[in-house]
Amino acid sequence: MSNSNFNQDKKPNAHSKTPWKAFAGWVNGEYPEDTFEKPELYQVPEQAHGAHHQEEPEQPAPAVPEQDAIQAGQGHFLLKEKFTRFYKVYIVLSVIIGCCVVGVLAFAVCSLPPYGYAENPVNNEVSEKYLEDGLADTGATNAVAGMILDYRAFDTFGESTVLFVAVAAVMMLMKRSMNKKDEEGERLVAHETAIDKKDQNLILKYGAMILVPFIILFGVYVILNGHISPGGGFSGGAMIGGGLMLYALAFGHEKISKVITYRAFTVTTGCALLTYAGCKAYSFYTGANHLGGDIPKGIAGAIISGGFILPLNICVGITVAFTMYGFYALFSKGEL
Amino acid sequence: MIRFIIAAVFIVVGIFIFAAAAFGVFKFKYVLNRMHVAAKCDSLGALLILIGCMILGGFSFMTLKLLLILLILWVTSPVAAHLIVKAEVKTQNEDESDEYEVIGK
Repeated sequence: MSNSNFNQDKKPNAHSKTPWKAFAGWVNGEYPEDTFEKPELYQVPEQAHGAHHQEEPEQPAPAVPEQDAIQAGQGHFLLKEKFTRFYKVYIVLSVIIGCCVVGVLAFAVCSLPPYGYAENPVNNEVSEKYLEDGLADTGATNAVAGMILDYRAFDTFGESTVLFVAVAAVMMLMKRSMNKKDEEGERLVAHETAIDKKDQNLILKYGAMILVPFIILFGVYVILNGHISPGGGFSGGAMIGGGLMLYALAFGHEKISKVITYRAFTVTTGCALLTYAGCKAYSFYTGANHLGGDIPKGIAGAIISGGFILPLNICVGITVAFTMYGFYALFSKGEL
Repeated sequence: MIRFIIAAVFIVVGIFIFAAAAFGVFKFKYVLNRMHVAAKCDSLGALLILIGCMILGGFSFMTLKLLLILLILWVTSPVAAHLIVKAEVKTQNEDESDEYEVIGK
């Protein structure tokens, strides 16, 4: 079937009742009865007949005609019909669910507290305390970084550990074993590597050549400025991980696995988490909440300021970046 | 005032192009046709809307940022579209009518 078939549907369906229905039909790709050549799409493939007869030549005449129609190769057509029927259900369901969501959101908006009242939950003392004393307590211009890496740093440590545990679990499940040879997996990987080698993919390579340095540089910038401007370990780490993935996609897995080996991966991630744990343990030891801690806060707005926030940001960034790249490498190649 | 009108014209044309792209993605049946519409209109629409924003904002540091956004969109979007289309071409079925299959026919 060529493209010309799809250009024949310019005039509206003459059999439709209203212009709106005709227009909706045109949008949905319905063709007028007289111009659409239907059978080509639904033709029974020849080889299906052949395969059927070769496999089961001794089968007697069918008792159930519908069953026979499916086995004779029209299953494609029937499946399509079934799918189309379900598709209408999907349309109705999506409209209903969309209306429900809109209703719930509108109801929630109606029951929101009025704007600007003193006793609103927005104006309670916790956020006030964070916003008023945050700069003095943590030394971070970015109040969010001050919150998640100073007041609630233990929570963030838990999040980083969750990432580490996740990548460890994926490593256990997906990593190809050194001792036990998985021949099917080896064959698949070799096949994909051969395809990668054969396909030059110059456009992706040049695109990655331009983009990867800037992506990684921007990620480093976001991490290092996490306590000054919006950003921080999680977002910057995600950028660096994305840059590493793009590099691995464009230039092949071998090049990047020379730098990020299994040992480097585990040692770096573990060291980042241990550094985080050490910093947090020290701050617990000296007073549990940094108030009156003996870490100099520095000048607010400078890179070296904010006490522990900068090293903690770096640790979180390393963990997030390596987790993202680790997921990609383990799921695609089964090794780091 | 004149600056506002010029910027509005740019942005409205850009929105129209995005709308045409969305419409075309639903209208066309074949993957390559759809990707053609989506990729082409993406870059042109982004260009027009960002130019409109630049004119609206006046010449400042923000203009440079918008220019950088435009640059990165122009580098990434065509490459991504190219790769998607390449994947489609490489994994094409022998029976080409399968590729036209769109639910809701």
